[in-house]
Amino acid sequence: MKEKVLQKLRVLADAAKYDVSCSSSGSSGGGGSTRSAGICHSFTEDGRCISLLKILFTNHCIYDCTYCVNRRSNDRPRAAFTAKELAGLTGEFYRRNYIEGLFLSSGVMVSPDHTMERLNEVVRILRQQYRFGGYIHMKTIPGADPLLVQEAGLLADRLSVNIEIPTEQQLIRLAPEKNFSSVFRPMDQINREAGISRQERKKHPKAPRFAPAGQSTQLIVGATPETDFTILKLASGLYRQQQLKRVYYSGFMPVNSHDARLPALQKPPLVRENRLYQADWLMRFYHFRFDEILDEKNSQLDLQLDPKLAHALRNPQLFPVDLDKAPYELILRVPGIGVRSARIIMANRRHGHIGLSQLKRMGVALNRARYFICCRELPAAAASLYPEQIKQRLLKKGEGQCRQLALF
Amino acid sequence: MKPNREKVAYVFDGSLEGFYTAVFMAFRDKTEPSRFLAANAGQQIPLLEQLRHAPADPALAARVDLGVAKRSGAKNACMLKLAFRSGQEDVLLLIWRYLCRLFDCPDGSFCRNMLDPDVWDVLQAARRVKREVHRFHGFVRFRKTADGFWFALIDPDNDIVDLLIPHFRGRYAARPWVIYDARRNRGIWYDGKKSHDVVLENKAFSLSDGTLPPAAVADDEEHYCRLWQHYYHSVSIAQRPNQRQMKAAMPRRYWKYLPEKQSGHRQ
Ligand code: SF4
Repeated sequence: MKEKVLQKLRVLADAAKYDVSCSSSGSSGGGGSTRSAGICHSFTEDGRCISLLKILFTNHCIYDCTYCVNRRSNDRPRAAFTAKELAGLTGEFYRRNYIEGLFLSSGVMVSPDHTMERLNEVVRILRQQYRFGGYIHMKTIPGADPLLVQEAGLLADRLSVNIEIPTEQQLIRLAPEKNFSSVFRPMDQINREAGISRQERKKHPKAPRFAPAGQSTQLIVGATPETDFTILKLASGLYRQQQLKRVYYSGFMPVNSHDARLPALQKPPLVRENRLYQADWLMRFYHFRFDEILDEKNSQLDLQLDPKLAHALRNPQLFPVDLDKAPYELILRVPGIGVRSARIIMANRRHGHIGLSQLKRMGVALNRARYFICCRELPAAAASLYPEQIKQRLLKKGEGQCRQLALF
Repeated sequence: MKPNREKVAYVFDGSLEGFYTAVFMAFRDKTEPSRFLAANAGQQIPLLEQLRHAPADPALAARVDLGVAKRSGAKNACMLKLAFRSGQEDVLLLIWRYLCRLFDCPDGSFCRNMLDPDVWDVLQAARRVKREVHRFHGFVRFRKTADGFWFALIDPDNDIVDLLIPHFRGRYAARPWVIYDARRNRGIWYDGKKSHDVVLENKAFSLSDGTLPPAAVADDEEHYCRLWQHYYHSVSIAQRPNQRQMKAAMPRRYWKYLPEKQSGHRQ
């Protein structure tokens, strides 16, 4: 019995790890970024936060998506938990404070409805028998009955429907059994029901909650030819229309033997993935619109420079910024100044001039910021360089490179 | 700081009350504290310095605390108490300097400029304490004992064990647990309703890895611990190693009581 669970855990945790939704790659700590209040219980050797037990209910799958390890045409060890086993495992991990909760996903076994029913059962046992108060994030299975999605929403904190491939045409090419409506229908349903529940709860505080932590999705980057502009435009729309809480970007990693429909990559495009996360942060916390970060002409993120720096260099007319007077939104646009520093500047500048020592104290990256602010203590020449010169200097020193994750 | 004040080292019992008593004495006697020594910290007491003992006096301590709250608000008084828990060596002198400036400034405006170095340093110390509390909401690892108890050993940089109570009380409802600070040799025992300070006399646990002797742990403890270790190692993606980031987020000094970071258990 015990050995059996261990075997299943091995197979099904391994199969789940390529889904990066728990990660915060590209936005790690520091730098004054507004980090989510989530609790990390551990960190993996690849630097990601472990907060939830991220696992598949089963890796059996009747579908054959090109980019997925679990597709039916792969010859791999397969396993499936029983609902009781998985609920028990989650409960015991939670009691030891290994995890904050469960991130439950699955391959499609028998049919979408059959699978979704199993997932709901795991969560129902946890909530009702174990009185489990931890966090639960569930994947909804594309094609599952709306009633099952509704039940899931009443049990889980967050739901997600993965889009995976950013355009429908490419999605159908790589995942013949899927299309955009199988993704957007449940997304819209979740958004609608969550909205209704929020309204209801204003009138009756005891009314049931529906996915109170909202919904998220994932996009695979680099498996198909979409530009970063297309991807950011899609993400921006998802944040506004479907009110998603997060969009995750996952650099495509070839996990299957070569398939002519996919590019032959040696390594996942990690730098690009990181740049997308940074651009995403600019949209969510720095008041940037997607079409300020990129446009039809500049449709790819610069791999050498972080997107905020790239924006500043393309818009020299905005700089240098006078930190003693400029509005918050403009201060946020200065490379090297993060959200926390910008707030500190706003709250404290009436007490006196914001000079170099103050900036250093709050952790502003002066090596970048110096070219974009006016400051008595800095040689006046720095802020009057041409964008090309600034870029040369920064690149020579290795600033803005991808090694530095917590940029801005 | 006024010149020509007598330099005195204050010895107190390590408690906040003791420290505020020492602060009160220093103000009253118009001395310049060269340092504040927690008597239990085992520090070398320099021979050349004048030494004064400050036996904790609740009434005097309360006057300091109230003075802070009156000048700068209750929130700020809490912030200072948080900073006091810092394990940072110079923190007590930083707080002393902060208090001197605060009491020199009748309207309390001094502490509203957080970019003033004397304010900033204390705020940072408090911030680091808060951050560690948050980290330990994740890094505490409970082990189930044979008699149905839940036990966790921690070794944080700052004195935070009692600040963990609200989080774990909320999380585990009526379940009894102990969280024990190995370095400071004190812990919290939550009996399912109330929490108590405890000092364990016979230490059955291992200080090197936080484990309990096999006879003392529940039957299934080893099993779940192993499952967790397997889980930990199987979720890392080998193609994208990033040890640097992992160690920044989870510094090595925290590893010893995390079962997943103990060597010898790897697959
Ligand atoms: S449906 Fe999901 S699990 Fe199945 S092959 Fe496609 S992506 Fe993989």
